[in-house]
Amino acid sequence: MACIVFGWYPIGVALVVAFQKFSVVRPCTYIGLDNFKYFIDDPTIYISFRNIFYYAGLNIILVFMVPIFISIFLMEMRKSIIRIMMILWFIPVASMAGIIIWKWFYNVQYGLFNGILRYLGFPELQWLQDENLAMICLVLPGLIMFGPGLIYIATLQGIPEELYEAAHLEGASFFQKIWHVTLPRIRPIIAMMLLLSIIGNLQVFDQPYVMTGGGPNFATYSVVMYLFDIAFEQMRFGRATALSLILFVVIMVFVIIQRKYFKENPDI
Amino acid sequence: MPLIPKVGRKKISMRFLMGTITAVLWLGVALHLFPVWWMFTTSIKPSYEILKFPPTLWPAHPSLAAYRLFFYLSAGGWDVLQYPIKIYMKNSGIITAGIMLIQIPITALMAYALSKLYSPRWTRLLFLICIGTMLIPMQVSLIPRYLIMRHFPFPTRHIPNIPFTDIPFPHYNFLNSYWAVILPSIYSPFNLLLFKGFFDTVPPELINAARLDGASELGIFRRIILPMSKPVFAVVSYFTFSSAWNMFMWPLIVIQKNKLYPLSVMLYKFQNILQSQQVVPAEPETRRLLESGMSYNGLMAISIIESIPVFIMFVLLREQLMTGIKLRGFK
Repeated sequence: MACIVFGWYPIGVALVVAFQKFSVVRPCTYIGLDNFKYFIDDPTIYISFRNIFYYAGLNIILVFMVPIFISIFLMEMRKSIIRIMMILWFIPVASMAGIIIWKWFYNVQYGLFNGILRYLGFPELQWLQDENLAMICLVLPGLIMFGPGLIYIATLQGIPEELYEAAHLEGASFFQKIWHVTLPRIRPIIAMMLLLSIIGNLQVFDQPYVMTGGGPNFATYSVVMYLFDIAFEQMRFGRATALSLILFVVIMVFVIIQRKYFKENPDI
Repeated sequence: MPLIPKVGRKKISMRFLMGTITAVLWLGVALHLFPVWWMFTTSIKPSYEILKFPPTLWPAHPSLAAYRLFFYLSAGGWDVLQYPIKIYMKNSGIITAGIMLIQIPITALMAYALSKLYSPRWTRLLFLICIGTMLIPMQVSLIPRYLIMRHFPFPTRHIPNIPFTDIPFPHYNFLNSYWAVILPSIYSPFNLLLFKGFFDTVPPELINAARLDGASELGIFRRIILPMSKPVFAVVSYFTFSSAWNMFMWPLIVIQKNKLYPLSVMLYKFQNILQSQQVVPAEPETRRLLESGMSYNGLMAISIIESIPVFIMFVLLREQLMTGIKLRGFK
């Protein structure tokens, strides 16, 4: 019941509203594909889609791998050390707090990073106000605020130790063991997390909204921010819903690609 | 410790490898802790010390002024600073508690029914219906949800009459209330997957035996399933808690009253005030506040306050979390 009311009902409404000129006061009128046609000539949508692809790509190259390797390395430690490290790593920073402190670090005048650069005698950087640098700045916090994924740890603990012993007897080196024993075992989880991370990253909103507000010259303007602006600044709900459907189709393409290429089970 | 065999540990190369790994891990911990440490020390620095460079690792004159100012803020402030921070704390608390108290039982019972009570054919259909929403990104339903919340359960202002009468169907505007935030998240397909994955592992003999003994279905759930599934409940409550606590975009949309903002939105607004204050002179009330020592230390104080509950939650559920994550629903 709850699932239908709050899961499917909005989606049905979305499908209807996307084809309407939605107005708060007057009854809605059906305008066919006009909401979608608007976006064909709209430069902002291309910019925002380019931005989210860039963001998702950077995120996956820089950030996505880190927890995997941290988790693998963490398994080498003694039990007591694992416990201490896990607690230290999971001293969480509420997400908004994390974003805000990073915004301060990047601050051109008072920020820590420029302070360090000034101290060491390097030229100061514009960080979030630099068109080219801004997107990387958005991704970097993820690199530092990472932790071992609980999910990876749980899966790693389930790998039987005999596999490693066998690999060792056959003379596998350290990295060979990671490559041939560990990674195939956690591949389904990696695939799942990759999918979730792509979906999540393509919908990014909080970080750019708070840190750059769309960034210098739209450099960090994401699709969801655009959607937010259309809907709640311009009050054009129909057009915004059309945009959300476009985003959905793009994400769906990724999901389908992912399902096609990551379907192997290591035990078979 | 599977990668490095126990036998060869004494060899130099192995020791080197081990040392490198340990160093990398501790470096990671240090990097991770640095912002937290920075947040904490800044929050207890007096304001003249905050922008000093090189920064002090421990404040020369620690003071709790930033915290005090927030708990006893009197009326007459501006924008989000009108209210003391405990108001926002309470908002966040109510929203999070509401989501947890409603969502977890609903999702758990749904998962249990799906896993044990229906015949396989129905299970498959219902499961697809339930999980289907997970594939569709939350942003697609963002605007419809907003519209629905405005005239629940109708998306438009045009509300049909009850047939054969002139009375319109009952509807309710949930915007600007806690319910607007709580209601859309009372069902979570992700948690349903977690629960179902766990309930599927419960042997059916156990349940059948209890049925023979005359236990009711709810009784079975409460007496047999609940005690068994502590870890999965821990995992789900941790995820639910942190996502509800960190929710930003949705409250920003549906709540327009300063008084009802959760902490995350409040933090954002406060940060905006600080930023704009550098460019244009703010209102006298705000300036008074800022001159009395409120700047980044205040911001950091709220950040710390916002982070504490998540940490407490993690410490409480840590043991369960470590053992509990078996994502069997992931396929």
